[in-house]
Amino acid sequence: MEPSAEEYAAFEEKVKRTVYFDNLSPQVTESVIRTALDQFTAVKNVKFIPNYLGPSNLPQCALVELDSAKKVKEVRAMIGQYPFMMSGMPRPVRARPAVAEMFDDRPVKPKRKMKCCWLEKNDPDFEVARELKNLTRKHAAEIAFMHKVHLKEEEKLAAQQAETLKVHYKKFKLIEGIMTDRTALTLARKYNLAVADE
Amino acid sequence: MVEDSKGDNLEFKWGKKKGFGGKKKEVTFYESFTYDGVDYTLYDSVYLYKDDEPEPFIGKLIKIWENGDKSRKVKILWFFRPCEILNFLEGYETLDNELFMACGEGLGLSNINHLEAIAGKCNVVCFSKDGRNPHPLDEELQNADFVCYCFFDVGRHKILDKTDDKIAGIEVKNIFNNLDSQKLGGLLRLDLDGKDVSAKVTTNNEAVALSSEKNNQLLIDKLDGKRYDTGDSKPSFGEKCTSSLGLKDANKSNDGLNSISRDKTLPLAKEKENGVCKALAKQKSSTKLSHSSRDGLEMTGNSKTGGNAFCLAKIDSEDTVGVPDRQINKRLVEGKASEKEKYGVSSANKTNDVHNRRNYDNAKISNTRPNVSMDNTFLKSKIDLEKGGRDIVGVPDRHFNKQLMEGKASEKEKYGVSNAMITNDVQNRRKHDNDVKEVPSKKLKTDTMSTKHSADKFRKESSTASPNVEHRLDYRVMEVTQRPDIDRSKWFKPMPWEERMRNAHEQGKLVLLENLDPSLTSSEVQDIIWLGFKESCTVMVIQKTAESSPHSGQAFVIFKRKEAAESVIRKLEEGCFLMSNGRPLVGSFGLPCFPEKKPIFYGHHVNDHLRLQTQREMKDAVSTSHCSQPNNIEYDMAVEWCLLQERADKSWRRLYQRQGEELRKLKAKLNVKI
Repeated sequence: MEPSAEEYAAFEEKVKRTVYFDNLSPQVTESVIRTALDQFTAVKNVKFIPNYLGPSNLPQCALVELDSAKKVKEVRAMIGQYPFMMSGMPRPVRARPAVAEMFDDRPVKPKRKMKCCWLEKNDPDFEVARELKNLTRKHAAEIAFMHKVHLKEEEKLAAQQAETLKVHYKKFKLIEGIMTDRTALTLARKYNLAVADE
Repeated sequence: MVEDSKGDNLEFKWGKKKGFGGKKKEVTFYESFTYDGVDYTLYDSVYLYKDDEPEPFIGKLIKIWENGDKSRKVKILWFFRPCEILNFLEGYETLDNELFMACGEGLGLSNINHLEAIAGKCNVVCFSKDGRNPHPLDEELQNADFVCYCFFDVGRHKILDKTDDKIAGIEVKNIFNNLDSQKLGGLLRLDLDGKDVSAKVTTNNEAVALSSEKNNQLLIDKLDGKRYDTGDSKPSFGEKCTSSLGLKDANKSNDGLNSISRDKTLPLAKEKENGVCKALAKQKSSTKLSHSSRDGLEMTGNSKTGGNAFCLAKIDSEDTVGVPDRQINKRLVEGKASEKEKYGVSSANKTNDVHNRRNYDNAKISNTRPNVSMDNTFLKSKIDLEKGGRDIVGVPDRHFNKQLMEGKASEKEKYGVSNAMITNDVQNRRKHDNDVKEVPSKKLKTDTMSTKHSADKFRKESSTASPNVEHRLDYRVMEVTQRPDIDRSKWFKPMPWEERMRNAHEQGKLVLLENLDPSLTSSEVQDIIWLGFKESCTVMVIQKTAESSPHSGQAFVIFKRKEAAESVIRKLEEGCFLMSNGRPLVGSFGLPCFPEKKPIFYGHHVNDHLRLQTQREMKDAVSTSHCSQPNNIEYDMAVEWCLLQERADKSWRRLYQRQGEELRKLKAKLNVKI
């Protein structure tokens, strides 16, 4: 249990080797991530970050440990440059460097001293602390609201894109239709247009 | 009973042999042994200490042997404390002192330990409804340190109320309350004791001689083999004093006790008293000894006053023995400075006062012992002593000798065991130069241990009491250190956190803490909870994601009981628990979010018309992951998502920036910076 400096240093190294992915679809599993990143580098370890606080339909997040810090950089550069699809389109995943607080098994930081105390009611700080508590709650509510807003925006964008896709689909279907039943050819001949023959 | 000043060589003696084993017959099995003055028999329940464990393990001796290389081993069938199998209780309501006996097959059933790991006896009474279990008497229940109703199957992780005929190869009838074997044990012990007596007496005498003091000792032998040695004399303190439950009771009742240190425990010996030297010396003030062992220590220190300073509940020479089912020996000795006293009580030690020239009749003592031990049923007895009394009051059903010597008025002593009152004449001019130093180091060690132990107990009690009794909050700044009791449920793989959280949530034991320093780890939060609330719990710090607040870390905490969770939340609500960097802790009932079966995820489109076809394709596809190229509609849409993500990011950043600003302003108003 004793926090040891070496242990922590080893952990910090691991953090540097790790890349954090979010915007992952719930269908993404460890093997999906492994195969997806295969093309760049070997994957040492994959860990999903559980979402205990909600909202429940937040995208998944995962920590992926790679070979080295250099690989992390490469992967991030690649995924940053081109939208990277994992197990679905068109919403891309994002990659960022991991930070220590993302790990649930992180060791205790060595040599840190936490202090705490109960405040007495007549302490002038008591009121301030009380306000701080309220502020904390308010902030938590703000965060929850922000999540909601973002989810709504995502939903909106998704709906809009679905609509676009549907239209595109219809368009292609239509084109395919006239191509297959030779309407296009007939018309081309009629208007004296050159249509490439399939 | 020769005390080694180094304290390393605890007394040890083998008891009855059971047989030999091993390839070359080099292993000797035993049925009993004496260790550190305590007699142990097969199937006794014992405490086992481990260095870094605050609370002792409890187990049953199911095999005792000595290897060819003289190493002494015991095989222990474990009892589990409810906190050790918390995850598998499944709503089973446990009593405070309930234990579960291991059964089945698997890790945690039994272990082989060094015999030296045994720290004392423990009285576990089994209440299993199993027909094979002799039903315990009510009085046994009262005296029990722990009770055991159910079994815990270490293989299946289930609580059972019945078990097979054998546990770890041992017939259950041996494991249940084993009345016959107890008696047997008692007798055996007697024998053993008998051997010891002479040695003891000698030691005593020596000690007495060393300390030129008077010793009056009361030895009480309990039928069940407990001996109590009450004496005001110091030497006797250190060397042999037995504390009994009766004594404990007596303490509670505030009666004056001199010093009781226990050197022998009976088979049923209560753990609490195990290895505890209790020295209860009441100095004129009638201090309540709620924690006898701790007080005892102090008392030993103080015991200078020794016999003089006993509170006499009754000054008239009447002693009431108020502990019902205990045998109590009382001795009243009044006499001149040249007092003679004979105390013959079972394991009776006689103390000689050098000054007083007491005579001890060894033979007598040894004779009396068996009687005493046989007779269980001493009830209260009253002994009236007249002051200046010169009588020997013999209570018929007591088998102990009392002798009162007439003497001058200069000294009067009465030693009452249990409720014992000791009257000291003010004129008593005894000097007790008991120093703690004189107490053999071994005992000292035991003392410390017992103190620690009782402190643990105390803590435990206080935490149990917390729902009802409001803790006095400690307003000092405390540094977070590792809490002493770490959940010891490491034997079994813990249930997945999610499931535990779900159960805890349903049972109202789940608390969400906010405003933690985000860099804290789960174990640190556990320490903080321990420090602030004296509650142990399991903590899971919420892992940070890219979107979580850099200002406030959260953690889900599972408490052991609903009341604990409620009290923590209430205290956090009413008071302010300030942590480093000016963070008051915020707590509320946790409302965890559990993954849905079919989570919604926006942004991945599958064309309905193509679905059937796609499914087949997806099955064949090795990976659907790829980088999007800027020449198709997918890319356009992906870029729209990227834009949205960027915007979200920015909004988070701005939100947290503003929140940080607000917090900073408010924190600046804090005077105390911790």
